[in-house]
Amino acid sequence: MDYERVIGLEVHCELKTNSKMFSASPVTFGEDPNTMINEVDMGMTGTLPCLNKRGVEFAIRVCHALHMEIDELLCFDRKNYYYSDLPKGFQITQDKRPIGRNGYLMIEVDGEEKRIDIERLHMEEDTAKQLHLTDYSLIDYNRAGIPLIEIVTKPCIRSGKEASAYLEALRQVFLYTEVSDAKLEEGSMRCDVNVSIRPFGQEAFGTRTEIKNLNSISNVQKAIDYEAGRQQEVIESGGEVLQETRRYDEVEKVTTVMRSKGDAVDYKYYTEPNILPIRLDHAWVEQIKNELPMMAGEREKHYEEEYGIPKVDAKILVSTKSMSDYFNEVIKYTKNYKNASNWLLGDVLAFLNKNNQSYDDIELNPEYLAKLINFIEDGTISSKQAKKVFEPMMTENKDPEKIIEEKGMKQISDPNALKTMANEVLDANPQSIEDYANGKDRAVGFLVGQVMKKSRGQANPGMVNKLLVELLKERIK
Amino acid sequence: MVTHTIEELHELFKSGELDVKEYYKELFEEAKKQQERLNAFVTITEEEAYKAIEAPMTDDLLSHIPYVLKDNYNTKGIKTTASSKMLADYVPVYNAHVVDLLNKHGVGLVGKASMDELAMGGTNKSALTGPVHNPWDTRRISGGSSGGSAALVASGLIPFALGSDTGDSIRKPAGFCGIVGFKPTWGRISRYGVIPYASSLDHVGAFTRNVRDMAIVTEALAGRDNRDMTSSNKEVPHYLENLTTDISNLKIGVLTTVSNEVRNEEVKKTFEHVVETLKSLGATVEDVEMDKKLMKTLLPTYTIIANSEATSNHSCLDGIKYGDRQQGDTPDDVMINSRTDGFGDHIKRRFILGNLALATENQEKMFRKAQRVRRLVVDELNKIYENYDIIIAPNGGGVAPLIDEAAEDYLSDEYIILENWLCLANFAGTPSISIPSGFVDNMPVAVNISGRIFEEQTVLNVAYALEEALGFKNQYKRED
Repeated sequence: MDYERVIGLEVHCELKTNSKMFSASPVTFGEDPNTMINEVDMGMTGTLPCLNKRGVEFAIRVCHALHMEIDELLCFDRKNYYYSDLPKGFQITQDKRPIGRNGYLMIEVDGEEKRIDIERLHMEEDTAKQLHLTDYSLIDYNRAGIPLIEIVTKPCIRSGKEASAYLEALRQVFLYTEVSDAKLEEGSMRCDVNVSIRPFGQEAFGTRTEIKNLNSISNVQKAIDYEAGRQQEVIESGGEVLQETRRYDEVEKVTTVMRSKGDAVDYKYYTEPNILPIRLDHAWVEQIKNELPMMAGEREKHYEEEYGIPKVDAKILVSTKSMSDYFNEVIKYTKNYKNASNWLLGDVLAFLNKNNQSYDDIELNPEYLAKLINFIEDGTISSKQAKKVFEPMMTENKDPEKIIEEKGMKQISDPNALKTMANEVLDANPQSIEDYANGKDRAVGFLVGQVMKKSRGQANPGMVNKLLVELLKERIK
Repeated sequence: MVTHTIEELHELFKSGELDVKEYYKELFEEAKKQQERLNAFVTITEEEAYKAIEAPMTDDLLSHIPYVLKDNYNTKGIKTTASSKMLADYVPVYNAHVVDLLNKHGVGLVGKASMDELAMGGTNKSALTGPVHNPWDTRRISGGSSGGSAALVASGLIPFALGSDTGDSIRKPAGFCGIVGFKPTWGRISRYGVIPYASSLDHVGAFTRNVRDMAIVTEALAGRDNRDMTSSNKEVPHYLENLTTDISNLKIGVLTTVSNEVRNEEVKKTFEHVVETLKSLGATVEDVEMDKKLMKTLLPTYTIIANSEATSNHSCLDGIKYGDRQQGDTPDDVMINSRTDGFGDHIKRRFILGNLALATENQEKMFRKAQRVRRLVVDELNKIYENYDIIIAPNGGGVAPLIDEAAEDYLSDEYIILENWLCLANFAGTPSISIPSGFVDNMPVAVNISGRIFEEQTVLNVAYALEEALGFKNQYKRED
């Protein structure tokens, strides 16, 4: 029998606000343990939460980017459970009224577009980080209280490949809204997966398992593929899939049981009494929407449709926001979109790579690159010359116009000056005129060479060629 | 040692008639004596007080004024136990907001006062350091949960002390000890740094021996604190400056649903005298009623909400980061063993009840139902406030019980309304003050005066006028 995979994803994302979700201590990564904390993060009795407005703004940004309905009333709940990494013995989260509901994100799998429906987005706070050693455990509270958003899809994903495409697209949203560095390896983006299978055509869902401990997008896909296969084997051998939480073992590439449903904790959610509901200012919510940059998917489409950039290139251009932003800057100064894209993906990227840099680090004034592109276009310099201008322009962030001037590279494109030189060359080479008259077009090439020589390489070869043909025609008349 | 009001002390310190240091020396000698008699301190903070009064005296009325904190106010570097074994050796790394505020006024902290464990209780018998004795009769309870603070102010040792009030934990002991106890509006004073009981009901407040002192202290405590999102941005009025005995323009409702429950003839008489006095002061005084059925729900509703919030609020006390840590093989065992060892049985009972009420399968019919009943009660109360500025009723049915007779969690059908009605002001977050109204069997009794939210001034004015007219002010009892 053929089985359909039904997958839902829960993604946590750490927000890179300056301070924590409910305290004034800083949000950091990789600092010495327990140095970035205060009494609130430590769950010292008597402390109270104070909501970070920037955290809310970041959540709203993502809500907008995912086309969600935003709750006008901000409400927080307590999720009560005991765990040694949970300082207060409860986590402040949003249970009943998540800030965002009913959104979607478009993904593309094998050239086909698909809409992934998103059920909810809510805000909460991170726990402390634990390190369990043989006979003791260490706790680092630096992470405790860092703002998190959790985004939950509907069970509308049908393959590991779709899941991976969704995660890539969602990661782009986090990066484009600039709310997080969204690194799965570092844990600033985390993903739990719900998987079940059912015979094709069946409407009822099968029993689902939840997979945790997934620290890369490729592992998500692998885990789903393994788990769906495992469930199928269980069913086909007459067994029953149990509702349980499983862990992905990266080394063995299998999922193993963490805990079964019977061990589930009752979180006893109830309204956080220390944060009264907050009415969101509609104008503020709209302002956040208006200030939001265009997302990667839209940009890709825009580049393709408006600027005629090949799909493959457009995809790469939007792969990082900094590159796409730089491209947008460059094309403010040149209409030669395709060349701009080629430069960005070619020489500029190669230069940055060579220097271990990315578009985040680029110093070059985008106007300079546009100028260079325009100089080639209007024939001020040749493509060959451009390569010589590029290096100093990049290393020194120098105006190409100056470089060209200093290097004396400027092509002679003044028709009168060229005409004088061409006539001198023609006067000195009557044999060539005769050859041309006899149908030997090759003669033109020789004459162009002579003009170039005379101009010490600065004459615009295209113009010279055209001019010589005109003059030759005149002379043999 | 001579006992003074805040204003008197200020004048005496300022004029040099009293040498501050000498005064504190005497005070600490007396404190030790009173500790023997009342058992009201958890910690005496002599060093801190002497350090505080090294700073030059200022014109601030609270400059160098000695005071006591209930032991659930976090004090940086000073042991803060909440009278629980769990926190017996806990030294906080931060100050409660109001402690910072008072320090800015230049007060001198004399000590941390005993309380019912984690502020859960009404007798002060559950304190880790044992029961606190009532200064008027040391065989009797001081009341709770802020019993240590109340007893120390009533002993005349200090002119004011801070307490906290979740159901009646300031006003009940104030009544039993014959002093003034006030909890302003929920949100008027920051709760940051006060070890909580039930956040939606918890109030910061104070004890004094007269209403003028209460106006001074309240003014110092009130105001917005950015660390407490529930604290109000409303401007703080000058309570002392605006204090007046002219209450002729006020409409006062006598809550007969409570006062009719009084069985003790003497208590009844003192209350009737209060009502007559208010009339003679020119106020419009009329009987008002609340649905008796609703009033009977106060205790169960309070019990469910308070214990539910409490169990969650105290989940941080797990032995992992601070507090009484008991070893275990796993982090879970450490938490289980620590909490088993650190809390008294009555606390565990309350936690179990709270967890039961919050459990998903029960929450709708217990916790949420209690919240809805609270809403109904508050709506009913606010209906009265549409027509009346002030509501008064007896603080309780009698005098402080004997220590041996007072049950830790006493439930009496007969007094279910009378002994539990003060939590109305916690449900509604309204300002509520209890002041002495006389003596019965040589023990103080009290009247409670409550008003609309953020109308502290009106409440203080009625208390002030009544205090002047009744004459029960600045009373204390130092020795038997």
